[in-house]
Parts: sequence; structure tokens; C-alpha cells
Amino acid sequence: MIRGTLLIIWGWIVLWSVISGRLDLLLRGVFHGLVGVSGAALLLAGVVLLIRHRGRRERMPWPWWSSATIALLVLIAPPNPSFSDLAESRPQGLPEPPELAFVLPPGQRTLTEWVRLLRSQQDPDLVDGNPVNISGFVWTQKNGPPLIARLTVRCCLADATPAGLAVDWPDGFEPTTNQWLAIQGEMAVAMRNEQRVAVVMPKTITPIPRPKRPLEP
Amino acid sequence: MTPSLEKISTAWAIFQGLLLEAIPFLLLGVAIAGLARWLVPQNAWVQRLPKNPLLAPITGALMGFALPACECGNVPVARRLLASGAPMGTAFGFLFAAPVLNPIVLASTWAAFPDQPWLLVARPLGAFVIAVLLSLLLVQLPETQLLEHALLSERRMSQPLSTVGLLERSGGLVGDPIRELTPTQSTRLRASDVLEQSSREFLDLLALLVLGCLIAALVQTWLPRSWLLAVGGAPTGSILALMLLAVVVSVCSSVDAFLALGFAAQVTPGALLAFLLLGPVVDLKLVGLFTVLMRPRAIAITAVAASFGVLLIGQWVNLWQL
Repeated sequence: MIRGTLLIIWGWIVLWSVISGRLDLLLRGVFHGLVGVSGAALLLAGVVLLIRHRGRRERMPWPWWSSATIALLVLIAPPNPSFSDLAESRPQGLPEPPELAFVLPPGQRTLTEWVRLLRSQQDPDLVDGNPVNISGFVWTQKNGPPLIARLTVRCCLADATPAGLAVDWPDGFEPTTNQWLAIQGEMAVAMRNEQRVAVVMPKTITPIPRPKRPLEP
Repeated sequence: MTPSLEKISTAWAIFQGLLLEAIPFLLLGVAIAGLARWLVPQNAWVQRLPKNPLLAPITGALMGFALPACECGNVPVARRLLASGAPMGTAFGFLFAAPVLNPIVLASTWAAFPDQPWLLVARPLGAFVIAVLLSLLLVQLPETQLLEHALLSERRMSQPLSTVGLLERSGGLVGDPIRELTPTQSTRLRASDVLEQSSREFLDLLALLVLGCLIAALVQTWLPRSWLLAVGGAPTGSILALMLLAVVVSVCSSVDAFLALGFAAQVTPGALLAFLLLGPVVDLKLVGLFTVLMRPRAIAITAVAASFGVLLIGQWVNLWQL
């Protein structure tokens, strides 16, 4: 009975994380199918065991108790990471850009594509005046002004890598840590730390809810 | 939310990410171990594995190609090998090499580093060397000091009475004929029995995986990764830092090459290779899982020897590449 119940609990948690969209916050999309299949397999195995063990008493070792407790906690407490905190503790280091990024018109580039482009093309004058239409969260840095940023993942949140863009925040606007914003404007060149860098000059800044899929590949 | 609450919340999310990513691979490993137990008569095929001290780990390492899973999935398979009486060198060779020597990991390494052909050769070769060396080292220990208690009892039941006495087995019938080989009768288990055993095995391992993921999530939340990468170009420092990073991050071997790609330009080639070699053998997520295979002392020996071996390989690569 106990084994079947535990497998059903874990299977449900795994499957629920896919169905509810919780996984979008934790794992890269390519793994979602695999996780879903394993959840369904655990549920099935649990049901089979439950039917076979009907009425049978079974000793429950303490490691199973602790894993059951964690399972319930996972169910009760959904993940709510601080993106800014994650970004602050990790170095920026995006992989090489996909070629597609370069052919997209500037107004259609995502924040991550902008960061990749600027990293591969160091001269900020080349993008001066380009239209910008991006969204991301506010990354409050310990040393330096807040950036607009996104997290990229290859696997799960454990390997999240930040991609941030400098913004010339309008006077009177106080960006709040972790707040999601949509920014429309254009690229400009500004001096930061005695270096000429590309900076987003916002025309409109709109607070938005966290996107359904906040992590980018 | 206060900063400390934010950190706890972030650690909780990382924990869930690590766990949900690892569960399918753990399930796959348990399923393969169960399937092998069901389809192949127990003990029949493990007896055909070479027992030669050098050939055994080499065979085990090459068996990795049969299981395209990360390190979590290999633990139940290695445990099944050991419990069935397979030569220890083979089981450990498999355990340490399979997370790298499998088609998915080799393909992902190639996809991440197509412009660095040396890495495509050095990673599998390094993993093979480390696995063989670790196996050769571990088999020097007596089984009683090496294997976890329950696993040892299970293994003793699969070994011939000519090598393991009844007292050591803690079971059996007095008067059983002493044979050189274990009985090879093909008593195939019923599928329901396999489900019974595999479900117990999965839940045991899952509890340990949960513990490992919790530790990994807590450590990496409170240890800023930028500190580890700050040493960048220092030849030895960068290797040590990336080794520590591999242990802490605990991502599975099928995707770690993509993670490494993110900081490949900031570190030395030896450090990059060290990251790709050590993580699949030793990481915080694995610590709990290894306790179903080995005693704490043997786990410590594995961790120290693997780290030392990887450090040497990293240094050699830096001398050659820099």
C-alpha cells in the first residue's frame, strides 16, 4: 500500500509540474516531455502496486518518510526564485549566437539576442539608433546600475546564466528588483566605466507579469 | 521579501529543478536494471564477464555505451551488477565511465564544442582512464570494507560457496554442494516480482537523490559562482575552481558540456576538461546515491582519487595546450 501511494504521489508531482506549467520556471523545454513520461510511468506503477497490495501492511523506512515530506512540500510550495539573485551570483557567459539572430530585424530581437549580438560585435556605434523592443526582469547589481535581464538555461535552473543589457532609466523611474518590464525604445551609445557601451534608451516602460516561459535557451 | 528569504526561495527552486531533471534518469536506470533482471536469467551473463583485473574495468567502461543515461541512472545498474556477482572491476568501471562514454553525452559534447576537436577525444579518453584507475584502486580494498552492508549480503548470495562461506553469506543451507560456479538455472522472475523490487529500489534511491539535490541547491545558492570563475586564467587555480564548480553544480552529464560552453572562454583548457571529467564521477547530488553502493571510506577514496586524477589530467592538458 505504502509503496504504491508514494509512487503515485511522486508521479503526480512530476506530472503536475508539467501540466501546471511549473516546469517552465525550472527546466528547459526539451526535457519537459521526458519528465512527463516519467511522471506517467510512476503513476502507472503506483496504481498497479496499490491494486496488488490492497489491504497489505508495509513498514515505511524513515528515508521514505522524509522523501514523502519533501514531496508534500514540493506540492504545497511552488518555486519562486529571485531571478535577480540568481543573475547576481553567476557570471555572464552566453554561448555563441545562433546565426538566425543576426538576420532578425533589430525590433524583433529578444533581449538575449541583443546581448549575444553586442558580445560578438564589440563596436556599439553599429547599433546606435536601432529600435529596441524587449522584455526582461530588473537585475539589481551590487556594483552598478540595474540592468534589464533574462536568464538562459541549458538544462535547469542550476545552470542558469544571465544576459543583461544596460538601460538609461528615465528620471523618476525606480526599477524594482525582479520586476518584469517590457521596454520599447532605441539603442544609444553612452559612457559607462570610462567605456563606450550600447545602452537602451527607453521610450515606454510597461510593467508586465512574469512570462509563462521566463527562461530562454 | 527579505534577502535571506529570497535566497531560501531561490534554493528551493534550484532544488526542484535539479530533482525534476534527475528523476527521469533515475527511473530509466532502475527500469533498465529491472529489465535486465527480468529478461536475462540472473547470474548467467555476469559469469561471462572477464575477471582479469585490467580487462574487467575496461569491459565495464565500454558497457556504458549500452546505457544512454546520466550518472543518476547508472547507480541502480551498477548496484544490480554488483548484487548479481559481477566482477567488481567491471561494475565500478561501468559506474564511473558510463556517464561520459555513452552516445548522448558524446553527441552533446560534440554539439557544444564542434570547433574543439581535442576535447571530443580528451573527454571520453580521460573518463575511460579515470574509470579504469578508480576501479583498479577500489578493488584493492576487501569487499567488506568497500561495499555497503546490504549490497554485500546480496552479492554474497550470488557468489559461489567455494569462495564465500555460509557464515559470510549469512544464509543458505548446510550441506549445499560447494561448486566452483554459481548455479546458472534460468529461473526467470515474474514481471510483478521485478516491479516489487524495482519500486523499492527506486524509492530508496529517490530519498538519497532528494538529499543530494538539497545539498547541491543550498551550496550553490550561498556560494556565488562568480567567485569560482574569478581565478580564470591561473593554470592550477582554474582547474581547482572548475573541479569545485562541477561538484557543486551537479548538473547531469548529458548537458554539462552546454553549461561549460558558457564559461569556456574564461578558463584554461585543462580547467574546462577537468569540469567535464569530474562532474560525472563526483558531485553533491551523487553523494547520497553512492551510499547504496559503497561504504563512506570507499566514497571518500573515490572522491579524493578522482579529484587527484582529474587535476593531473587538467595540468597535463594545460602544459600541452597553453
